[in-house]
Amino acid sequence: MCCVRIRFLHTEAFRLSAIYAAIFALSVILLGGLALVITERAFRDQVVQFSQADIAAIQNGYDVEGLGEAREVVQQSMAGPGVSDFFLLQKDGRLVAGNLPVMPPRTGVFSLDKGGHEILGVGKMLAPGVYAWSGSDLARALIARQEILQAMIWLFAVALLLAVTGGALVSRSFLRRSDAMARACRAIMDGDLKARIPMRGTQDELDRLAGTINEMLDRIVALMGNLHQVTNDIAHDLRTPVSQLRQGLERAQEGPQSEHAQALGAAIAKTDDILVLFAAMLRIAEIEGGKRRGAFVPVALGALLGRLYELFGPVAEAAGHSLAVDIRHDVEVRGDPALLTQLLSNLIENAILHTPSGTHITMSLAVLDSRPALTVADDGPGVPANEHEKLFQRLYRREASRTHPGHGLGLSIAQAIAELHGAQIGVIPGSPGLAIRVLFSAARTPSDS
Amino acid sequence: MKLLLIEDDPETAGHIAHALTGHGHAVESVDNGADGLARARACDHAALIVDRMLPGLDGLSLVRNLREEGLQTPVLMLTTMSGLDDRVEGLEGGADDYLVKPFAYSELLARVHAITRRSETRETTRLRLADLEMDLIRRTVLRAGKNIDLQPQEFRLLEFLLRNAGRVVTRTMLLENVWDLHFDPRTNIVETHLSRLRSKVDRGFDSELIHTLRGVGYVLRAD
Repeated sequence: MCCVRIRFLHTEAFRLSAIYAAIFALSVILLGGLALVITERAFRDQVVQFSQADIAAIQNGYDVEGLGEAREVVQQSMAGPGVSDFFLLQKDGRLVAGNLPVMPPRTGVFSLDKGGHEILGVGKMLAPGVYAWSGSDLARALIARQEILQAMIWLFAVALLLAVTGGALVSRSFLRRSDAMARACRAIMDGDLKARIPMRGTQDELDRLAGTINEMLDRIVALMGNLHQVTNDIAHDLRTPVSQLRQGLERAQEGPQSEHAQALGAAIAKTDDILVLFAAMLRIAEIEGGKRRGAFVPVALGALLGRLYELFGPVAEAAGHSLAVDIRHDVEVRGDPALLTQLLSNLIENAILHTPSGTHITMSLAVLDSRPALTVADDGPGVPANEHEKLFQRLYRREASRTHPGHGLGLSIAQAIAELHGAQIGVIPGSPGLAIRVLFSAARTPSDS
Repeated sequence: MKLLLIEDDPETAGHIAHALTGHGHAVESVDNGADGLARARACDHAALIVDRMLPGLDGLSLVRNLREEGLQTPVLMLTTMSGLDDRVEGLEGGADDYLVKPFAYSELLARVHAITRRSETRETTRLRLADLEMDLIRRTVLRAGKNIDLQPQEFRLLEFLLRNAGRVVTRTMLLENVWDLHFDPRTNIVETHLSRLRSKVDRGFDSELIHTLRGVGYVLRAD
């Protein structure tokens, strides 16, 4: 508990609430000071105003009916619920009425000292020799000031308490959630790749952060899974040709000299197979690294298909197939021309290598829902629907195609290239033979640009 | 030919030097970039074979330095980096060709020969071998005075063979230079196109010009 108490002092939430509390306290002090000054000034103004009104009344009495009436007014004011507390009416240095001792006549607004109290008031000569003074004790203002001050201290204390408690509560909750994040991260560091940061579903900033971190973890786990898969695949897929290579060399070593040349040729061919497999895996890693996205340029897909038709037409023909191109809409996509060439080449070569002679292969370019779609389709025997997903798995080779050249990475490379371009690749279900389509996002026709 | 090999791995350097001397070349071998640069400046070699990753001064910087100094000795760059960008970077740095390890020695020899003669034929508008003539401006091909009609790709293929007439060109060299393909196709693209070209260029004429060297490549030559 003590650790928590000390720790929450160091949280961002507590720091923020402390800053808010300080700002609030400062405002209370400033506002309070201002209120004191204003109320005091208003009180003094009021005292002066009332005193002037009293003096005016005394003056009026004197003017109309003489000194006697003035004395009457003073005595009435002192007895009645008047506003002023102190009065003085003197003539030629003698007291006529009032509760103050005779003093040297002084006119205007000024304060008197009476037993430590400040008495503010107004003095006036009613006539030569006749002097009147009226004023009030400011002790009432002092009491008001003290009351305001006290209220402010209470306000200040309560605000401070609220800020500190609120800050502590907020930091506790913040701490609890950041601790949960730290725990999840530590669990992942310790090898539990399934651990995720708990989310409240409140969509606040912490929740969004947790969501982003979880997505990042998903991606990392997927990448690691991929890596793991590749490592396993390499280990598995390379072991076979490498051990075959070794066996062949061993047999040649024991066999007659006359067979050595042939064995060496076979060994070199086997080594080349292994190197091709390596190159393909490295290419996938290069593509999946995503670095090539920086080199994207506009690629006219129609022209690309035309070049590939020129390239593979004779190859297909020599293998007893026919290759056709069907361009319904010419479109441009942003991409890497070398990689898009490889993607389509892989699809076309698959169609040529894995179908019986006499098969028709069609490359087509169309726009579906304003998305460019490249399709390589054949009317061969096709692939059962339950194998469609597996076709894109690394090193997956259908039993039927094990006798053909290939390493089972052609479609994986195609998929990696498609993903790099933000395109989807997949088998079109229900088509005769096998049809694989690459569906790009956001079309751009040459006429638009 | 007198060749300078700059390769830091002694085993690889030994194999390469052995293969090149076996074909009658004189090979000078150094194992680091700084010495390589000094030797390339000091001596007139027919070509440099430079490993891209070298201790101290790397291969790419070495070639850039040479080119900045105005030395035009042909350079074949060797590398284990097979990325598409690495190749472009190597060629833009001033290398004449780029070969990814591991490679067959026949491939290395063919490429060394190709880069050492390349400058001679670059500015010609007409290529000729025996009774075969190619006009690069009018895009026409004649053999024994007879017009031969070629598709654009066939024309490019024959042009490359003619520019390298008498020298071996490998399958990979054709894929890279004629079709700009930088991966290993699984179908016999090169064989198919060459056999079609052969049927147009050689069939019906007295002598064959296109020759196949099994396991190595092709050569265009008049016997």
